[in-house]
Amino acid sequence: MTVPFWPLFAVDVGGSLAMIALSFLCLGTATHLRRADPESLLRIYLFWVCVGLAGFSLSRAAGHIARQGLLLAGREDLWAALRPYSSAVNTLLFVALAAVTLFFERVWKATERIARDRLALRRARAELLEVNRELERLAGDRARALAFSERQYRRIFEVARDPILVLDPEGTIREINPAGAKLLGGGEEAADRLRGAPLMRFLARPGAWREIGAAIERRGFVQNVELELRRADGVLLPVLASAVRDRESGGEGAAVHLIARDIEERRRLQEQMAQADRLASIGQLSAGVAHEINNPLGVILGYTQLLLRGEAPGSERHRDLKTIEKHVRHCKAIVEDLLKFARRSEPKQEKVDIHRTIEEVLHFFGQNAAGGRIRLESDFDRRIPEVVVDEKKIKQVLLNLLMNARHAVGGEGTIRVVTRWLEAEGKLAFAVEDDGCGIEDKDLPHIFDPFFTTKPTGEGTGLGLSVSYGIVRRHGGEIRVESRPGKGSVFTVVLPAAGAPPEVET
Amino acid sequence: MLPGRRGRTVSPPPGALAALLFFLSASPLHALQEHGPTDSLVLHQGAHLFFLAAMGLLVLRLRQRGLVRHPGWRKIQLAALFFVLWNAAAFFAHLLDEQWGIVATVRLSPAWVRIEAGAFGEILAPLYYLARLDHLLCVPAMAFLYAGLRDLRRRPEAAFPGEEEP
Repeated sequence: MTVPFWPLFAVDVGGSLAMIALSFLCLGTATHLRRADPESLLRIYLFWVCVGLAGFSLSRAAGHIARQGLLLAGREDLWAALRPYSSAVNTLLFVALAAVTLFFERVWKATERIARDRLALRRARAELLEVNRELERLAGDRARALAFSERQYRRIFEVARDPILVLDPEGTIREINPAGAKLLGGGEEAADRLRGAPLMRFLARPGAWREIGAAIERRGFVQNVELELRRADGVLLPVLASAVRDRESGGEGAAVHLIARDIEERRRLQEQMAQADRLASIGQLSAGVAHEINNPLGVILGYTQLLLRGEAPGSERHRDLKTIEKHVRHCKAIVEDLLKFARRSEPKQEKVDIHRTIEEVLHFFGQNAAGGRIRLESDFDRRIPEVVVDEKKIKQVLLNLLMNARHAVGGEGTIRVVTRWLEAEGKLAFAVEDDGCGIEDKDLPHIFDPFFTTKPTGEGTGLGLSVSYGIVRRHGGEIRVESRPGKGSVFTVVLPAAGAPPEVET
Repeated sequence: MLPGRRGRTVSPPPGALAALLFFLSASPLHALQEHGPTDSLVLHQGAHLFFLAAMGLLVLRLRQRGLVRHPGWRKIQLAALFFVLWNAAAFFAHLLDEQWGIVATVRLSPAWVRIEAGAFGEILAPLYYLARLDHLLCVPAMAFLYAGLRDLRRRPEAAFPGEEEP
């Protein structure tokens, strides 16, 4: 069979050139593919397949072109010499190419495995991110809750009216709330100054801290221990202290949390109640005794007056009987005072302008009782409305207080009467102030006791304040005293403006 | 008989003795094998079959994995098919003219060639002529490979495992 040669030549040469061109185009494209994801095993595989193809195409095309050229040139001998080498290289290259191609399955599986792992990693990462976000949210919520809680407890610490202290086990102040700073340092701004100071410096009895510390060491806490704290102004303040040991106090080591409650007011009330009870007992006793004595005194006085009728004035018997009559009357006056103190009768309820009442008493006192070198001053709160009181008895109270004041100032001094309207409580207060000798601390608890007096014998019966106390209590009020020896005293009477309540314990 | 430990005597095993005699008596022809021109032809033909099988296996794997749904891999599958055909054509041509020697070409002139195929000339000569135009198979194979790679590059999503995920 005879066939034209040119198709064979054209296809061989053209095809070889086309193979070279296409193989390098493939290599270029595979290179781009690989660059897009240099870690992709499949892309690396395709790249190396294309490298193999390019090498194979180049080798084979070179061989074919050389063959055609040498045959055309009539150099069959040269081609015969070159042919085994070209054939061997071609063989090697497409064996290698085939071998590489066989790895497609393995590469694909590895790629799939990598993809699965990558996907799993991505999902795990997404889950971790989600968990992290959730944790961050929870942590944020917890932090906000903690901040809120901290603010809340800090607020309790700051607004507490009782002093709260955080101490180290040796009793050094680490933290102190504003109430504590105000008490121990004189102001809330003293907190910084007080930090680092030993608590025992503020204890009336420094050994008290050792006892508290020992008790805390033994039991872990102390409860309701009475202490006396020295205020910034030097005054001793009774407090009820409770303390507990905290072994984990924010990294600063063990701490002691101490709360002190001011019991001065409570103690004063307790003392008042005790005094009221004592006075009530004395009143009952006095009333019984007075009643029993009053009748015989009346009989003695009656018979003395009968006997006086039969005696000539100026005779010795008349003078003796007059002496008896005088002393019996004195005894009766005392007994009546005792009865006034103890009597349970209700005071009259009449509307009174308290300032007019006070001015009348002051006028009377100024005219009759006050000496020339005693200054009488008044400071009235004109807002006080008419009040419901037993005017005569209130006058008696005021006069008693003024007489005591006059006695306290001696021959020279100032007596001042002050009124105040306590609108919120619906009460009025009047006070008698003097700059006299004051009352000794030891006498203060007894000044309202019947027959207690510091006046010389014969100058007072010791019933004035007792009677005043009884009157004020029957009005539903109270009488207070503040006194500093050598500086003077203030007696304050507080009365309800609307009158005494229906049943008032005396 | 050689003296052994503790005064005993030992003898070499009979197999070892035979091997020793075999190597001592071997001629130089056993050391190096001669390779005639047909050796490289057999190797070349074997390489064609190996390449054919590798390409056929690639087609099979691409289809098994359903990759041919992607236009890029589909074209690479066509490239592999054309390489299979090309290997078959080349193997056939080498078989006829070099291995079996039943086909020969005689250059009549620069423009004409006569193909001599003996008794089966009517059938074998045209087939051989077509087989010699093997570039008509390998060039399309390369073209399909190039087109496939371009498609993979243009639409990498779903072409490579794991890359469809954002």
